[in-house]
Amino acid sequence: METIRVFKSLVVDSFDAITQGTKIYHLWMAFLTFVMLVGMYCYSIQIEEGLSVTGMTDSVSWGLYISNFTFLVGVAAAAVMLVMPTYILKDIDFKQAVLIGEGLAVAALIMCLAFVVADMGGPSVLWHMLPIVGVFNFPNSMLTWDVIALNGYLIINITIPFYILFRHYQNKEAKSKVYLPGALLSVFWAVGIHLVTAFLYQGLQAKPFWNNALLGPRFLASAFAAGPALIILILAIIRTYTEFKIENKTIKKIALVVTVAAQINLIMLVSELFKEFYAPTHHSESAYYLFFGLHGKNALMPWIWTAIPLNVLATVLLTFHKLRNNFKVLFFACFILFVAIWIEKGFGLIVPGFIPGPYGKITEYTPTGIEIGVTIGIWAMGAFVFTILARTAIGIEIGKLRYKKK
Amino acid sequence: MSENKKKWFSLNLNSTKKQNSGSCGCGKTSGDCGSHNPVVKEKPKDGFEQVFDVKMDRRSAFKQLTASLAIGAGAVSTSCSMLAGDETKEKAQIDWEEQFKGNYKLMTNEEKKDTVDRLVRSYQLRTGKAINISSENAKKDVLFGYAFNISKCQGYMDCVSACVEENNQDRNSEMQYIRIHEMKDGKGFNFNEADDNYYHEVPAEGHFYMGTQCFHCDNPPCVEVCPVNATWREEDGLVVIDYDWCVGCRYCMAACPYDGRRFNWSTPEVPEEEVNKNQHYLGNRMRKKGVMEKCTFCVQRSRAGQNPACVEACPTGARIFGNLLDPDSTLRWVLENKKVFRLKEDLGTEPKFWYFMD
Amino acid sequence: MNMRSNIYIVGYALFFVLVFFSCKDHGPEYHTIMDKIEAESKNYHGVSVSSENYLGDIKLMEITEGDDTFLIPERKSQIKSFNCTECHLRPLKTLKMDGTVKKAHWDITLVHANENTLNCITCHDGSSMDNLKSLTGNAIDFNNSYNLCSQCHTKQFDDWKGGAHGKRIGGWAPPRAAMTCVNCHDPHDPHIASKWPVRYNSQKAIERK
Repeated sequence: METIRVFKSLVVDSFDAITQGTKIYHLWMAFLTFVMLVGMYCYSIQIEEGLSVTGMTDSVSWGLYISNFTFLVGVAAAAVMLVMPTYILKDIDFKQAVLIGEGLAVAALIMCLAFVVADMGGPSVLWHMLPIVGVFNFPNSMLTWDVIALNGYLIINITIPFYILFRHYQNKEAKSKVYLPGALLSVFWAVGIHLVTAFLYQGLQAKPFWNNALLGPRFLASAFAAGPALIILILAIIRTYTEFKIENKTIKKIALVVTVAAQINLIMLVSELFKEFYAPTHHSESAYYLFFGLHGKNALMPWIWTAIPLNVLATVLLTFHKLRNNFKVLFFACFILFVAIWIEKGFGLIVPGFIPGPYGKITEYTPTGIEIGVTIGIWAMGAFVFTILARTAIGIEIGKLRYKKK
Repeated sequence: MSENKKKWFSLNLNSTKKQNSGSCGCGKTSGDCGSHNPVVKEKPKDGFEQVFDVKMDRRSAFKQLTASLAIGAGAVSTSCSMLAGDETKEKAQIDWEEQFKGNYKLMTNEEKKDTVDRLVRSYQLRTGKAINISSENAKKDVLFGYAFNISKCQGYMDCVSACVEENNQDRNSEMQYIRIHEMKDGKGFNFNEADDNYYHEVPAEGHFYMGTQCFHCDNPPCVEVCPVNATWREEDGLVVIDYDWCVGCRYCMAACPYDGRRFNWSTPEVPEEEVNKNQHYLGNRMRKKGVMEKCTFCVQRSRAGQNPACVEACPTGARIFGNLLDPDSTLRWVLENKKVFRLKEDLGTEPKFWYFMD
Repeated sequence: MNMRSNIYIVGYALFFVLVFFSCKDHGPEYHTIMDKIEAESKNYHGVSVSSENYLGDIKLMEITEGDDTFLIPERKSQIKSFNCTECHLRPLKTLKMDGTVKKAHWDITLVHANENTLNCITCHDGSSMDNLKSLTGNAIDFNNSYNLCSQCHTKQFDDWKGGAHGKRIGGWAPPRAAMTCVNCHDPHDPHIASKWPVRYNSQKAIERK
């Protein structure tokens, strides 16, 4: 009973925290709501007409939605890069950032699930995937592994921070024997979710562009580069706009994580390029299409040739201590790294897998307005969810939101 | 009818129904109100049971379940209403039962017959026309296989045309299960430079022709990856799809190395007079948007002892269909006496579609 | 702390057990399709379905050539001018050949091999016009005219007997029925002309307009 009362009070208090704020805050939330409404409108068109309103065809059957899904699973997995040092290595510097990281993981996961549902042809029969009322093709289908992995990770990342915040809300200490096993589990689970998502593609012998051993590790490396990069940018914003204190050394340590991950990512990229272009086979056609165009079709070239130089530039900037510790340079590098990896993992991975098709046919893919509308709507939803979570969490952590016994 | 199944389903629904109905204050059943605070608002339904039971994002689950519940609720209300006509009630009843039936592969013969009867009746109510849908199971001692004579194919495309006529594919997107590739002599099987969209007099000088379609692999990658088992390999070797069970994720399409599968990006439309009324549940019955479909070796014909439409239509006899288990079949003779090969053998998919030349 | 960790350990263990023993309703696994065919056709007893109903209205007769027994369309009833002797009461040799009389079957031109290989009397027997004759002079019935073609086209004949050449009539199930050579190839002009491909959808769209 007591718990429920406290809980109700938490809900009310956080609702207050969310609906009150500065003008900028309200503008931000209004903007996000507007974009979400645009997204919802576009999605309603898609539900009505079918997926023919998107740019996807029988030749390129996965496009913008799945690209974003793939990328965001990585972002979600990146929370582990904060959880692990905090709870396992007991590094005090990360403690402030870890709840933000887990909040980001929740928002990213919700976005992932939204993208998957948006991409489906029959969302109203999603219940077919449930184990008992439907058929759950586990363990054959990697998609089922992904369903378990993503939802499990979502549960962990909701329950563990919720427990900690709930305790702090009541001015009590969070018991480590309650949250530590969950945190430990989430470390392994985070690696798991992204590996499983990579295996979705890696296991398809029909798509030689994906069917290589490096895809899983590459996913992890790029995730641990892009995710913490986003976290750094978010922490910077939080530092500026709220009373939440984040020390410089926290950001510097996260930056180190981003740097190492970005370097490993580049090494893996080099390895992939070598394999494709040193002794090109029929299987290298997709890489040729992506980097150099094939038979005059070269729609993806500007994308990849933006992504790779940005990636290299960001990694180089981050490598040098002097540059990395200069926060202006750091934020810039993180931003371009995030964008570069978004392109690389999205358009640079999913779409070229389908081009050329199984019989060598080249059909290019361009997302339609509706697809883009739904995509930005879902991104706005993610930002919205994250803002809400962060605001509550920050409120509790700085002591503003506290349970007052009546 | 399917009393037990219905009860079982509705039991489950009731529990989730109870939990979902109170949660959206703004009254919208699908879509979202911008003021929703998803994570915080859903905490009251805390109960770890709710969380562990549903294996998806609650918001999406809520959206989709209520969409389908809305259909069901609408159906129920029309069936219970005293003002709605008998036909509307019947249609609503059929729609309700069809929405919540299970996977065809797991159905008993009686359940299969029931769903087929419902579909036939539903079509009759909607269009006033009669069709017959078969739920014929695989016969014993039958394993279907296919052989294609490359020397004989002249590129006439009678097969493509017959297939479309037979299988009720969407006319708007000109969906074709079969592709005929025109290749240049002397370059071998160069798919990259093949043309599958030619339109000139055939056979063209210096070219040869061969066709591809679903090869009904014996180790099908598409079956492996389907998250809901909407596609599977039947006892007689045919790889089939339960169109009503498919969720439209298109993972199978990514997994197929042979461009065998097609997706209904919009609602498939066939002009009434061109609809083939002899249908099979797993074959050429009318599909809906958002589901996969593919060549089924004309299951509605082959299980009755007829040749698939493409085999029958080919004027040169380039296509050979038969029972791999029958040692006296012409197909077995071809496999034993001609130099046969299959496409992409190294992928380990074991297609049951062989190519040979004279 | 210990109990919690234990719970997790047990949970993981159960999970892995589940994974390894999860129900995979596969039946016997074969490495290749040929293994499967070999194994499962050992107990082959014939199929319950028959293609009898799909043979259509064609009059069929059974032949046995070598190891193969199957049905082919009966030919003599399909030839308009049969029996030849209804018109040709006397042997060909006695017919006037001075160029004043139009040759019978004047509309048939022989476009088959060349003058060295084939002319009318290579296949037709002038003295017994209701039959065809082989290269060695043996009579061949019009119903079995494939025996003539097989004299030169031995490879196609073998393929045809086995089922790799020619068009099957009816369905895939027994009884097997197939077209003969003359059902597709005009023996006087066997070459099949090129044509335009059938284009179902575009054509139908035009028709519907």
